[in-house]
Amino acid sequence: MTCPYLDYREASGDDSFETARAYCTVAERFVQPMRADICNDRYDLDHEAHCEIYREHEDGTESSGDDS
Amino acid sequence: MSYDAYLGGEPVIITAALTGGVHGKEANPNIPETPEEIGRAAADAEAAGASVVHLHARKPNGERAFSTERFQAITDEVRARTDDIIVQHSTGGTGAPLEVRRQPLRTDPAPEMASLDMGPLNRYDHLTSENTRGMVDSLHDEMVERGIKPELEVFNDGHLNETHQLLDRRSLADPVYATLIFGSGTLTRPRPRNFLNAIDNLPEGARFNTLAFGRHQLPFAAMGMLFGGHVRVGLEDNVYYRRGELAESNAQLVERVADLASLLGREVATTREAREILGLESQR
Repeated sequence: MTCPYLDYREASGDDSFETARAYCTVAERFVQPMRADICNDRYDLDHEAHCEIYREHEDGTESSGDDS
Repeated sequence: MSYDAYLGGEPVIITAALTGGVHGKEANPNIPETPEEIGRAAADAEAAGASVVHLHARKPNGERAFSTERFQAITDEVRARTDDIIVQHSTGGTGAPLEVRRQPLRTDPAPEMASLDMGPLNRYDHLTSENTRGMVDSLHDEMVERGIKPELEVFNDGHLNETHQLLDRRSLADPVYATLIFGSGTLTRPRPRNFLNAIDNLPEGARFNTLAFGRHQLPFAAMGMLFGGHVRVGLEDNVYYRRGELAESNAQLVERVADLASLLGREVATTREAREILGLESQR
Protein backbone atom coordinates (compact mmCIF):
# COMPACT_ATOMS: atom_id res chain seq x y z
CA MET A 1 0.00 0.00 0.00
CA THR A 2 1.32 3.41 -0.88
CA CYS A 3 0.99 6.46 1.33
CA PRO A 4 -2.50 7.99 1.04
CA TYR A 5 -0.90 11.42 0.91
CA LEU A 6 1.24 10.64 -2.13
CA ASP A 7 0.33 12.19 -5.45
CA TYR A 8 2.17 12.40 -8.77
CA ARG A 9 2.22 15.83 -10.34
CA GLU A 10 3.98 17.56 -13.19
CA ALA A 11 3.80 21.00 -11.62
CA SER A 12 3.26 22.83 -8.36
CA GLY A 13 3.92 26.47 -7.70
CA ASP A 14 7.06 27.50 -9.54
CA ASP A 15 8.23 23.90 -10.06
CA SER A 16 7.40 21.94 -13.19
CA PHE A 17 8.76 18.71 -14.67
CA GLU A 18 8.42 16.80 -17.91
CA THR A 19 7.51 13.61 -16.04
CA ALA A 20 5.12 13.57 -13.10
CA ARG A 21 7.01 13.33 -9.81
CA ALA A 22 6.16 12.28 -6.29
CA TYR A 23 4.39 15.01 -4.35
CA CYS A 24 3.49 14.98 -0.68
CA THR A 25 0.06 16.49 -0.15
CA VAL A 26 0.76 16.93 3.58
CA ALA A 27 4.07 18.75 3.20
CA GLU A 28 2.80 20.35 -0.01
CA ARG A 29 6.03 19.87 -1.87
CA PHE A 30 7.74 17.50 -4.28
CA VAL A 31 9.59 14.88 -2.30
CA GLN A 32 13.11 13.65 -2.72
CA PRO A 33 13.47 10.56 -4.94
CA MET A 34 14.68 8.42 -2.05
CA ARG A 35 11.75 9.53 0.06
CA ALA A 36 9.42 8.58 -2.81
CA ASP A 37 10.47 4.96 -2.25
CA ILE A 38 9.20 5.30 1.31
CA CYS A 39 5.94 6.82 0.05
CA ASN A 40 5.53 3.87 -2.30
CA ASP A 41 6.54 1.21 0.27
CA ARG A 42 9.19 -0.05 -2.13
CA TYR A 43 11.98 -2.47 -1.25
CA ASP A 44 12.08 -2.79 2.57
CA LEU A 45 10.60 0.65 3.14
CA ASP A 46 7.27 1.42 4.78
CA HIS A 47 5.69 4.87 4.95
CA GLU A 48 3.94 4.12 8.25
CA ALA A 49 7.22 3.17 9.91
CA HIS A 50 9.77 5.33 8.12
CA CYS A 51 8.11 8.62 7.17
CA GLU A 52 8.10 11.24 9.91
CA ILE A 53 5.75 13.42 7.86
CA TYR A 54 3.13 10.67 7.74
CA ARG A 55 3.59 9.85 11.42
CA GLU A 56 3.33 13.45 12.51
CA HIS A 57 0.25 13.97 10.42
CA GLU A 58 -1.40 10.81 11.71
CA ASP A 59 -0.79 11.20 15.42
CA GLY A 60 0.77 14.59 15.94
CA THR A 61 3.60 13.23 18.06
CA GLU A 62 6.52 13.41 15.67
CA SER A 63 8.75 16.32 14.88
CA SER A 64 9.58 17.20 11.30
CA GLY A 65 12.62 15.31 10.12
CA ASP A 66 15.92 16.17 8.58
CA ASP A 67 15.38 16.36 4.85
CA SER A 68 19.04 16.64 3.98
CA MET B 1 48.98 9.68 2.57
CA SER B 2 50.22 12.84 4.22
CA TYR B 3 51.41 16.39 3.78
CA ASP B 4 54.66 14.85 2.51
CA ALA B 5 52.61 13.14 -0.16
CA TYR B 6 51.23 16.53 -1.14
CA LEU B 7 54.75 17.90 -1.40
CA GLY B 8 55.63 14.82 -3.45
CA GLY B 9 53.16 15.99 -6.04
CA GLU B 10 51.12 12.93 -6.95
CA PRO B 11 48.39 13.96 -9.38
CA VAL B 12 44.96 14.39 -7.82
CA ILE B 13 42.13 12.18 -8.96
CA ILE B 14 38.86 14.07 -9.30
CA THR B 15 35.73 11.97 -9.02
CA ALA B 16 32.49 13.51 -10.23
CA ALA B 17 29.38 12.27 -8.42
CA LEU B 18 26.94 13.23 -11.10
CA THR B 19 23.45 12.45 -9.88
CA GLY B 20 23.02 10.36 -6.71
CA GLY B 21 19.70 9.02 -5.59
CA VAL B 22 18.65 11.02 -2.57
CA HIS B 23 17.68 14.34 -4.15
CA GLY B 24 16.92 15.19 -7.76
CA LYS B 25 15.69 17.96 -9.98
CA GLU B 26 13.40 19.17 -7.19
CA ALA B 27 16.60 20.32 -5.45
CA ASN B 28 18.45 21.59 -8.51
CA PRO B 29 17.01 21.35 -12.03
CA ASN B 30 20.55 20.93 -13.40
CA ILE B 31 20.98 17.48 -11.85
CA PRO B 32 21.21 14.94 -14.68
CA GLU B 33 18.69 12.11 -14.29
CA THR B 34 18.13 10.42 -17.65
CA PRO B 35 20.82 8.22 -19.24
CA GLU B 36 21.39 10.83 -21.93
CA GLU B 37 21.68 13.66 -19.41
CA ILE B 38 24.08 11.62 -17.28
CA GLY B 39 26.15 10.71 -20.34
CA ARG B 40 26.46 14.35 -21.33
CA ALA B 41 27.32 15.36 -17.78
CA ALA B 42 30.03 12.71 -17.69
CA ALA B 43 31.57 14.03 -20.90
CA ASP B 44 31.54 17.58 -19.59
CA ALA B 45 33.02 16.49 -16.26
CA GLU B 46 35.78 14.59 -18.05
CA ALA B 47 36.60 17.66 -20.11
CA ALA B 48 36.75 19.70 -16.91
CA GLY B 49 39.23 17.33 -15.28
CA ALA B 50 37.35 14.39 -13.76
CA SER B 51 38.90 10.98 -14.28
CA VAL B 52 36.22 8.99 -12.41
CA VAL B 53 32.44 9.25 -12.55
CA HIS B 54 30.36 7.90 -9.68
CA LEU B 55 27.02 6.78 -11.04
CA HIS B 56 23.55 6.06 -9.70
CA ALA B 57 20.59 5.08 -11.84
CA ARG B 58 17.17 6.66 -11.90
CA LYS B 59 13.76 6.03 -13.37
CA PRO B 60 12.31 8.54 -15.85
CA ASN B 61 10.60 10.38 -12.97
CA GLY B 62 13.92 10.74 -11.14
CA GLU B 63 13.28 8.04 -8.55
CA ARG B 64 15.95 5.52 -7.64
CA ALA B 65 16.60 2.57 -9.91
CA PHE B 66 18.86 -0.36 -9.13
CA SER B 67 18.29 -2.73 -12.03
CA THR B 68 21.18 -3.90 -14.15
CA GLU B 69 19.24 -2.80 -17.22
CA ARG B 70 18.94 0.78 -16.03
CA PHE B 71 22.60 0.92 -15.04
CA GLN B 72 23.46 -0.58 -18.42
CA ALA B 73 21.62 2.21 -20.22
CA ILE B 74 23.50 4.80 -18.21
CA THR B 75 26.94 3.27 -18.47
CA ASP B 76 26.43 2.78 -22.22
CA GLU B 77 25.67 6.47 -22.59
CA VAL B 78 28.65 7.43 -20.44
CA ARG B 79 31.06 5.18 -22.32
CA ALA B 80 29.77 6.38 -25.69
CA ARG B 81 30.13 10.06 -24.82
CA THR B 82 33.43 10.05 -22.89
CA ASP B 83 36.97 9.37 -24.05
CA ASP B 84 38.40 7.20 -21.30
CA ILE B 85 36.70 7.99 -18.01
CA ILE B 86 36.69 5.44 -15.18
CA VAL B 87 33.17 4.24 -14.44
CA GLN B 88 32.25 3.67 -10.82
CA HIS B 89 28.78 2.33 -9.96
CA SER B 90 27.12 2.89 -6.62
CA THR B 91 25.98 -0.12 -4.63
CA GLY B 92 24.41 2.10 -2.00
CA GLY B 93 20.69 1.82 -1.48
CA THR B 94 18.94 2.72 1.74
CA GLY B 95 16.14 0.25 2.32
CA ALA B 96 17.07 -1.90 -0.66
CA PRO B 97 17.83 -5.59 -0.02
CA LEU B 98 21.12 -7.21 -0.97
CA GLU B 99 19.88 -8.78 -4.20
CA VAL B 100 18.76 -5.38 -5.43
CA ARG B 101 22.06 -3.78 -4.50
CA ARG B 102 24.05 -6.39 -6.43
CA GLN B 103 22.40 -5.37 -9.69
CA PRO B 104 24.70 -2.41 -10.53
CA LEU B 105 27.68 -4.79 -10.50
CA ARG B 106 26.27 -6.90 -13.33
CA THR B 107 26.52 -4.61 -16.34
CA ASP B 108 28.51 -5.61 -19.41
CA PRO B 109 31.27 -4.63 -19.14
CA ALA B 110 31.40 -4.48 -15.40
CA PRO B 111 32.23 -1.08 -13.94
CA GLU B 112 35.91 -0.63 -13.17
CA MET B 113 35.01 0.48 -9.66
CA ALA B 114 32.02 0.31 -7.33
CA SER B 115 31.24 1.91 -4.02
CA LEU B 116 31.07 -0.19 -0.88
CA ASP B 117 29.43 1.42 2.15
CA MET B 118 31.36 0.42 5.24
CA GLY B 119 28.53 0.40 7.74
CA PRO B 120 25.18 1.75 8.89
CA LEU B 121 23.95 5.30 8.66
CA ASN B 122 20.69 6.93 9.65
CA ARG B 123 18.33 8.51 7.16
CA TYR B 124 15.54 10.91 8.08
CA ASP B 125 14.07 10.20 11.55
CA HIS B 126 13.05 6.56 11.36
CA LEU B 127 15.29 4.84 8.86
CA THR B 128 18.74 3.28 8.88
CA SER B 129 20.75 2.11 5.91
CA GLU B 130 22.03 -1.06 7.55
CA ASN B 131 25.06 -2.17 5.54
CA THR B 132 25.71 -5.17 7.77
CA ARG B 133 29.11 -6.88 7.64
CA GLY B 134 27.44 -9.77 5.86
CA MET B 135 26.13 -7.43 3.18
CA VAL B 136 29.50 -5.68 2.87
CA ASP B 137 31.29 -9.02 2.46
CA SER B 138 28.78 -10.25 -0.12
CA LEU B 139 29.04 -7.12 -2.24
CA HIS B 140 32.83 -7.14 -1.91
CA ASP B 141 33.05 -10.78 -2.99
CA GLU B 142 30.97 -10.16 -6.09
CA MET B 143 33.15 -7.17 -6.94
CA VAL B 144 36.23 -9.40 -6.72
CA GLU B 145 34.60 -12.05 -8.93
CA ARG B 146 33.86 -9.43 -11.56
CA GLY B 147 37.20 -7.64 -11.37
CA ILE B 148 35.73 -4.48 -9.86
CA LYS B 149 37.81 -2.35 -7.49
CA PRO B 150 35.88 -1.39 -4.35
CA GLU B 151 35.80 2.22 -3.28
CA LEU B 152 35.33 1.96 0.48
CA GLU B 153 32.89 4.63 1.67
CA VAL B 154 33.77 5.66 5.22
CA PHE B 155 30.91 7.72 6.61
CA ASN B 156 32.28 8.06 10.14
CA ASP B 157 35.12 6.98 12.42
CA GLY B 158 33.35 3.74 13.31
CA HIS B 159 33.56 2.88 9.65
CA LEU B 160 37.33 3.23 9.92
CA ASN B 161 37.21 0.34 12.37
CA GLU B 162 35.00 -1.51 9.91
CA THR B 163 37.56 -0.86 7.17
CA HIS B 164 40.34 -2.41 9.25
CA GLN B 165 38.07 -5.35 10.09
CA LEU B 166 37.18 -5.86 6.44
CA LEU B 167 40.91 -6.13 5.74
CA ASP B 168 41.10 -8.80 8.44
CA ARG B 169 38.29 -10.75 6.76
CA ARG B 170 39.18 -10.21 3.13
CA SER B 171 42.32 -9.61 1.08
CA LEU B 172 41.89 -6.39 -0.86
CA ALA B 173 44.11 -5.51 -3.76
CA ASP B 174 46.54 -2.65 -3.22
CA PRO B 175 46.07 0.16 -2.92
CA VAL B 176 43.05 0.18 -0.61
CA TYR B 177 41.01 3.17 -1.71
CA ALA B 178 38.79 4.78 0.90
CA THR B 179 36.52 7.79 0.59
CA LEU B 180 36.35 9.81 3.81
CA ILE B 181 32.93 11.41 4.11
CA PHE B 182 32.02 14.46 6.17
CA GLY B 183 28.65 16.00 6.84
CA SER B 184 25.66 15.99 9.15
CA GLY B 185 23.77 13.17 10.86
CA THR B 186 25.68 9.89 11.12
CA LEU B 187 28.60 11.26 9.15
CA THR B 188 31.85 12.50 10.64
CA ARG B 189 31.44 16.11 11.72
CA PRO B 190 33.08 18.32 9.09
CA ARG B 191 35.90 19.75 11.17
CA PRO B 192 39.57 19.93 10.16
CA ARG B 193 40.78 18.00 13.22
CA ASN B 194 38.35 15.19 12.37
CA PHE B 195 39.74 15.07 8.87
CA LEU B 196 43.30 14.79 10.24
CA ASN B 197 42.21 12.09 12.66
CA ALA B 198 40.56 10.14 9.87
CA ILE B 199 43.60 10.13 7.60
CA ASP B 200 45.80 9.16 10.57
CA ASN B 201 43.63 6.09 11.14
CA LEU B 202 43.54 4.74 7.62
CA PRO B 203 45.11 1.36 6.94
CA GLU B 204 48.80 1.47 6.09
CA GLY B 205 49.30 2.31 2.44
CA ALA B 206 45.69 3.24 1.78
CA ARG B 207 44.89 6.06 -0.62
CA PHE B 208 42.03 8.33 0.29
CA ASN B 209 39.40 10.35 -1.45
CA THR B 210 37.74 13.32 0.28
CA LEU B 211 33.99 13.92 0.17
CA ALA B 212 32.08 16.52 2.14
CA PHE B 213 28.47 17.49 1.68
CA GLY B 214 27.00 20.88 0.93
CA ARG B 215 29.06 23.94 1.75
CA HIS B 216 31.82 21.75 3.13
CA GLN B 217 32.59 20.33 -0.31
CA LEU B 218 35.12 22.94 -1.39
CA PRO B 219 37.09 23.41 1.87
CA PHE B 220 37.37 19.67 2.41
CA ALA B 221 38.47 19.18 -1.17
CA ALA B 222 41.20 21.71 -0.45
CA MET B 223 42.24 19.83 2.68
CA GLY B 224 42.19 16.54 0.84
CA MET B 225 44.50 17.90 -1.80
CA LEU B 226 46.86 19.43 0.80
CA PHE B 227 47.26 16.10 2.52
CA GLY B 228 47.98 14.09 -0.58
CA GLY B 229 44.49 12.74 -1.07
CA HIS B 230 42.02 12.76 -3.91
CA VAL B 231 38.69 14.55 -4.16
CA ARG B 232 35.07 13.95 -5.05
CA VAL B 233 32.70 16.73 -6.05
CA GLY B 234 29.41 16.87 -7.87
CA LEU B 235 25.71 17.54 -7.65
CA GLU B 236 25.06 14.31 -5.76
CA ASP B 237 26.85 15.80 -2.78
CA ASN B 238 26.30 19.52 -3.17
CA VAL B 239 23.76 21.37 -5.31
CA TYR B 240 25.23 24.85 -4.75
CA TYR B 241 28.15 26.66 -6.31
CA ARG B 242 28.23 29.19 -3.50
CA ARG B 243 25.79 30.24 -0.79
CA GLY B 244 22.39 30.86 -2.34
CA GLU B 245 23.53 30.10 -5.89
CA LEU B 246 22.68 26.75 -7.42
CA ALA B 247 25.46 25.08 -9.36
CA GLU B 248 24.98 25.15 -13.11
CA SER B 249 26.47 21.73 -13.71
CA ASN B 250 28.72 19.01 -12.41
CA ALA B 251 31.44 20.29 -14.72
CA GLN B 252 31.32 23.67 -13.01
CA LEU B 253 32.13 22.01 -9.67
CA VAL B 254 34.85 19.85 -11.24
CA GLU B 255 36.43 22.83 -12.95
CA ARG B 256 36.61 24.73 -9.67
CA VAL B 257 38.55 22.00 -7.85
CA ALA B 258 40.75 21.45 -10.89
CA ASP B 259 41.65 25.14 -10.76
CA LEU B 260 42.27 24.83 -7.05
CA ALA B 261 44.56 21.86 -7.60
CA SER B 262 46.58 23.90 -10.05
CA LEU B 263 46.86 26.76 -7.58
CA LEU B 264 48.07 24.34 -4.92
CA GLY B 265 50.63 22.84 -7.24
CA ARG B 266 49.03 19.45 -7.78
CA GLU B 267 48.42 18.29 -11.27
CA VAL B 268 45.02 16.89 -12.12
CA ALA B 269 45.31 13.19 -12.89
CA THR B 270 44.54 12.01 -16.37
CA THR B 271 42.48 8.87 -16.65
CA ARG B 272 45.67 6.95 -17.41
CA GLU B 273 47.37 8.34 -14.31
CA ALA B 274 44.29 7.64 -12.22
CA ARG B 275 44.33 4.00 -13.33
CA GLU B 276 47.99 3.74 -12.39
CA ILE B 277 47.36 5.24 -8.96
CA LEU B 278 44.34 3.03 -8.31
CA GLY B 279 45.83 -0.13 -9.77
CA LEU B 280 43.21 -0.51 -12.48
CA GLU B 281 43.51 -2.16 -15.86
CA SER B 282 41.88 -0.23 -18.66
CA GLN B 283 38.73 -1.83 -20.07
CA ARG B 284 38.68 0.38 -23.12
